[in-house]
Amino acid sequence: MDSNTIIAEARRKGRAALDEAAGKALLASYGIAVPKTRVVKTPEEADAALQGLRLPVVVKVVSPEILHKSDAGGVQVNLASAEAVREAIRTMSALPRIRDALVEGWLIEEMAPAGQEMVIGGLLDPQFGPLIMVGLGGIFVEVLSDVSFRICPITRLDAEEMLDELKGAAILGGARGRKPVSREAIIDVLLKIGGENGLLMQNENDIQEADLNPVIVSDDGAIAVDARFILTHAEVAK
Amino acid sequence: METEKIIEEFMPLFAPKTVAVIGASTKGTALPNVFIRRIREFGYEGAIYAIHPTATEIDGVPAYKSLADTPEPVDYAFIAIAGAQIAPILGAAKGRLRFAQVISSGFGEVAEGLELQERLVEAARAGGTRLIGPNCLGLYTPRGKVTFTEIGSKETGTVGIVSQSGGLGTDIIRRGFSRGLKFSGLVTVGNCADVTPSELVEFYLADAPTRVIGMYLETARDGRRLFHILRNACASKPVVILKGGRTKQGQTAAASHTGSLAGDERVWLALSRQTGCILVDTLDQFIDVLLAFQTLTPRPRHPLKRVALFGNGGGTSVLATDFYARLGLDVTPFDQGTMDELAGLRLPPGTSITNPVDCPVGTLQQEEGRVAEKILDIMYRSGKPDALVMHLNLSAFAGRSKPEVLDNLVKAALRVQEHYPGQAHFLLVLRSDGEPSLEKRKRDFRAKAVELGVPVYDEMSNAGHALAALQAHENFLHRRAVPTAAAVRT
Repeated sequence: MDSNTIIAEARRKGRAALDEAAGKALLASYGIAVPKTRVVKTPEEADAALQGLRLPVVVKVVSPEILHKSDAGGVQVNLASAEAVREAIRTMSALPRIRDALVEGWLIEEMAPAGQEMVIGGLLDPQFGPLIMVGLGGIFVEVLSDVSFRICPITRLDAEEMLDELKGAAILGGARGRKPVSREAIIDVLLKIGGENGLLMQNENDIQEADLNPVIVSDDGAIAVDARFILTHAEVAK
Repeated sequence: METEKIIEEFMPLFAPKTVAVIGASTKGTALPNVFIRRIREFGYEGAIYAIHPTATEIDGVPAYKSLADTPEPVDYAFIAIAGAQIAPILGAAKGRLRFAQVISSGFGEVAEGLELQERLVEAARAGGTRLIGPNCLGLYTPRGKVTFTEIGSKETGTVGIVSQSGGLGTDIIRRGFSRGLKFSGLVTVGNCADVTPSELVEFYLADAPTRVIGMYLETARDGRRLFHILRNACASKPVVILKGGRTKQGQTAAASHTGSLAGDERVWLALSRQTGCILVDTLDQFIDVLLAFQTLTPRPRHPLKRVALFGNGGGTSVLATDFYARLGLDVTPFDQGTMDELAGLRLPPGTSITNPVDCPVGTLQQEEGRVAEKILDIMYRSGKPDALVMHLNLSAFAGRSKPEVLDNLVKAALRVQEHYPGQAHFLLVLRSDGEPSLEKRKRDFRAKAVELGVPVYDEMSNAGHALAALQAHENFLHRRAVPTAAAVRT
């Protein structure tokens, strides 16, 4: 699916944001790695869905009414069998905040390998147009606000300087005995999101905000484990 | 826009051949009357017309009922009259007015004036006129001999300014004048209903006399255009931005991390990192940095890193070293060879020769100040700093030395500077306690020094901010490795 189709589909449903599967499809259409994913409607479909997926998996609720899935109890990780997946879906379905919401299904996806968590974001600024952001995940973003912004489109040099600007930059290079992670992989994602022909530039009439959080970066790649795209108000869009 | 096209479009603003005033009174007391007097005093010799419903002459200039009636088309009109009357006057120009600067307020800056501003823009567009303002103070252009202020150099300089605030525009001219800044132009743009700061930056980038650009901005509705212009220019001329309202928090309705972390501050920082423009926080820094760019030639092939300090005042040296380090400037001690050479001069006790080189007045007074030349020569030849800041505490000289000692010190520094061309940026800090005779001396010095290409600062911190800006500019060009006029000159 291309980005226009994905966004048009969400607009047709009257959505203010892309659901997670659509968000990941959008990323995949720009060549950004995302986990292998299936969506099921019922626990009984778990066996068939796990065919071709590497265990263990994560299961997440799919609901236009639940923006923060973890807060609602709608995420379970490290599930190693079809039985565990079925049990997880039943348990989550019974939680009050999920029971009362419109649930469209359940996202089953492979767990990403371990690595450094990063956050990559996008924002449509009313004066400067699309902006791109990067930061290290967890407390670096949430507590320390250690992020850097650039105006799109960015160049490779911009992407490199964005990483250099982070106070936690040394961590990427393997500070305190950690394994260094692939800067190249992060820069690649930044350019696919914020570069000349990147996702934000090509969809600037449609994407108001984007959060790829986390993007897990290892020594040889980067994978976007969660993605949220908030659409511009329909009247602003073309 | 192409270079020739933007020069051709805006030159009638910066060097108008005909000027009109709208709102001058027959009693000679309104703002446009003052404007007529100012530009005459400034040396304007082109035609001046007044537009007035009944008068045939105001303050010695011929008056006409309409812009359609003037003998020649008008390049620049200075308009200060009740807001509602302006659109019809502009509408009647029918292609005979190039630039209208509307001083009057009560337009887009207040809710009830929005519609009036729209009508003003429509009338200007219909008449083929570019509109500047409304809600501004005017224009200062030495090459065109047009000014709205009473103070300011008549000489065309190299600093081009666009200011969204009229009052601050006046401050920039007046304070800049007393500090030795010389402008290629200054336009106050107020509400920017038509001509935007970005367009004027485009002009200054193309304009031959302009070598450095300064902007005071409060909003940037065409931020994206500014980004493109500055990005394409790739800091070929330094651009210094004083931005008001940068600390405002990001969008309150943000639903993502990214949205909540974004704020005006972050966007301007991004602009600066991507285009090499220099952000400053205060009017003083703005002028300090512009002065550095006016007088010093950036050396992108060898970006500024090491700074040497030389002067009198131990505490001042120590504080400056700390301050400069925080700005990312390197004030480390000289190597042993340099210190040995300095020690060989057998300077009196109390002289520190490590870097900072700190000399009590006694040392500086030796041989009427000419000993300084020997010290500086070693500092340049052996120490090889990228910049040298000479600081003199004038108060410490008062009553203890002949007046020519100070002269000799500065002359010595300039002679050394000449021996090592292009090696180090040279800045002078003249500190004083505000005592009138010292202030006068400082003013005289400053004027002389700026003529000789030496920027003069009041305190070490001011010079530090200027050096940090120069460093940022040089680093940006160095990283982008773009050949510029400045690089060729070096």
